[in-house]
Amino acid sequence: MSEQEIFDGVQEIFRTVFDDDEIVLTREMTADDIEDWDSLEQINLLVAIEKKFSIKFKLEDVKNLPNVGAMLDLVKRLAG
Amino acid sequence: MPYTYLITGATSDVGAALIRRVWKPGDIILAQGANDLDRLDGVRELCGDALHCYNVDLTGEESLTAFIEEIRRDFGCPTHIVHLPALRVINTKFRNFDEQRFLLDFNVQVLSALRICKAFLPGMMKAKFGRLLFMLTDYIIGVPPKNTTAYIVAKNALRGLARSLATEAAPSGVTVNCVAPYMMETRFLQDTPDLIVEASAAANPMGRNARVEDVVPAMAFLLSDEAGFISGAELPVTGGAKY
Repeated sequence: MSEQEIFDGVQEIFRTVFDDDEIVLTREMTADDIEDWDSLEQINLLVAIEKKFSIKFKLEDVKNLPNVGAMLDLVKRLAG
Repeated sequence: MPYTYLITGATSDVGAALIRRVWKPGDIILAQGANDLDRLDGVRELCGDALHCYNVDLTGEESLTAFIEEIRRDFGCPTHIVHLPALRVINTKFRNFDEQRFLLDFNVQVLSALRICKAFLPGMMKAKFGRLLFMLTDYIIGVPPKNTTAYIVAKNALRGLARSLATEAAPSGVTVNCVAPYMMETRFLQDTPDLIVEASAAANPMGRNARVEDVVPAMAFLLSDEAGFISGAELPVTGGAKY
């Protein structure tokens, strides 16, 4: 799966979870950049990503993700 | 004195464990499930003919009415009523609130409890003895989590019923109590992603989710004779996460 496909898929999930079609992801983006992005929504994002890409996160891998870039890299590593 | 336990949602992990915990020879167990009574096969080995199972759809009024009438005809008034059933929690934003699904859950959790209590509480009060116990959730303590409106509304309605009945029944010696457990690792969670279950465990001060064996003894206590002066309680079983 290409980086672009992963990026597009994750961006679509962000737009759905936060109900905002204008979200444009950047690798540097963090929870500070989206008002509703709290720990619960983080879990919702990750669960939606697991489902979309048929992958399984481990809690220890995702609890300290610093930004969207780290999230995308993790998805790429797991989705291959 | 032998007791008659009416347990709705008895086929749940908690229900089956509770029967094992409280049943003693002479007691009668009236166990309701919905298309899953085989889950009580193990309990039957313990209780034998004392276990009476009922396949009842609690979303419908007719089936519930027939169930209540059958109980009344065959066993009179139970001494203990334990109400456990709920549909699985849907985690979704309020804008996606599904009213039909909510009403089904409301029927299962609240209206069925209300109708069962209406049918049997007067008899318990007349007998000057009875125990009612409802399954709540620690979501009702303090600030509820986001995206669980349907579940929170139904559980708080059930809580309101318990509190109201506790007040009304107290003079007759009938107690009405609730347990409010932390996320419990049972079949109820089978549709919940592992990540959510693991995150819940990690967020608990004791580092884990609740287990059936944490909750059932608390329930057994509230149902016991010695808990006769405890009514209107909502007992948190949360590992210190909420209280």
